[in-house]
Amino acid sequence: MSTIFKRGPARPQANITPMIDVTFLLIVFFVLVSQIVDLENVDLELPAPDHAATRLPGEEPRAVVNVLPGPSGKSSGYRVAGESFEATPAGVQGLRSLLVELFQATPQMRVNLRADRRTAYRWVAPVFQAVRQAAVMADVGLDGASLNLVVVREDQ
Amino acid sequence: MSEPSARGEQLDLPPVRRRDRTAPPIGLNLTSMIDVVFLLLVYFLVATDFKQSEEIYRLDLPERREGMAIDPFELDDEPLRILVRNTGAASEDYRLDIEGARGTVRDFESLYEFLAARRIDGMGGGLFADDHPVLVVPSSGTSWSFAVGAFNAAVRAGYVNITFEESAS
Repeated sequence: MSTIFKRGPARPQANITPMIDVTFLLIVFFVLVSQIVDLENVDLELPAPDHAATRLPGEEPRAVVNVLPGPSGKSSGYRVAGESFEATPAGVQGLRSLLVELFQATPQMRVNLRADRRTAYRWVAPVFQAVRQAAVMADVGLDGASLNLVVVREDQ
Repeated sequence: MSEPSARGEQLDLPPVRRRDRTAPPIGLNLTSMIDVVFLLLVYFLVATDFKQSEEIYRLDLPERREGMAIDPFELDDEPLRILVRNTGAASEDYRLDIEGARGTVRDFESLYEFLAARRIDGMGGGLFADDHPVLVVPSSGTSWSFAVGAFNAAVRAGYVNITFEESAS
């Protein structure tokens, strides 16, 4: 005995599930990446000199030292790689110790210095000393004791 | 219309109505998806903070190791010291002085012109080679913006050996 199944016309449907999966993965990716970028770069008003004779940053490994702005030109501390240090001699010593560790892990590392344009120089100068001393302590050579001053270009 | 039965009789049955069935239209309702996509787009546009392009100056810090050998026959070049300080309570004005030079320079543009005019250019003019040490000396209360402005003027003028005074005066 044969059975004949009566089938209606096929109804093609698009499966939206993988598309939604991909969309949510993209959202999660962008959220995570934006948090990582925020950890490295604090929102600062960087100096913007006229006719800036700057260069584009390279692809070399880097540590970003942010001088956190405080009221009336003071600084409330320093932040490197998500770690914060107070703007005190003890805080600068902690910053130097972290830089020594980072230099030892990555001797070819560059240090990017980001400071708010209103911050007084007395709060920026200790970073120079910390970087130079850390490079000497980690024995990374003369090239290590250099840093990049980060500014923005507004005349482009 | 009547149909013949099995016994040959004509039955009076209602006419068979054949439904004219056509294939249903094939389509995907994208409206809701486009709604969601536009909502996401608007969210990211509002939430995004467009960053300005950040660029760098390379600053070499001299290595001052304890007990470094000093060549007694090497004559150190006296660095060109550029003093920068804030003036006024508003922290909007600054003053530039070049140690040893007469007068002051008004702004960063005239500092650039001063430095560029004194750099040895290969045409027989100038006083300082491009690797002559230039030291930017901001006072302790000087805004970082002004310190960077003086540094930029020296870089623009073609000097390559520029550093900051590390101890804020």
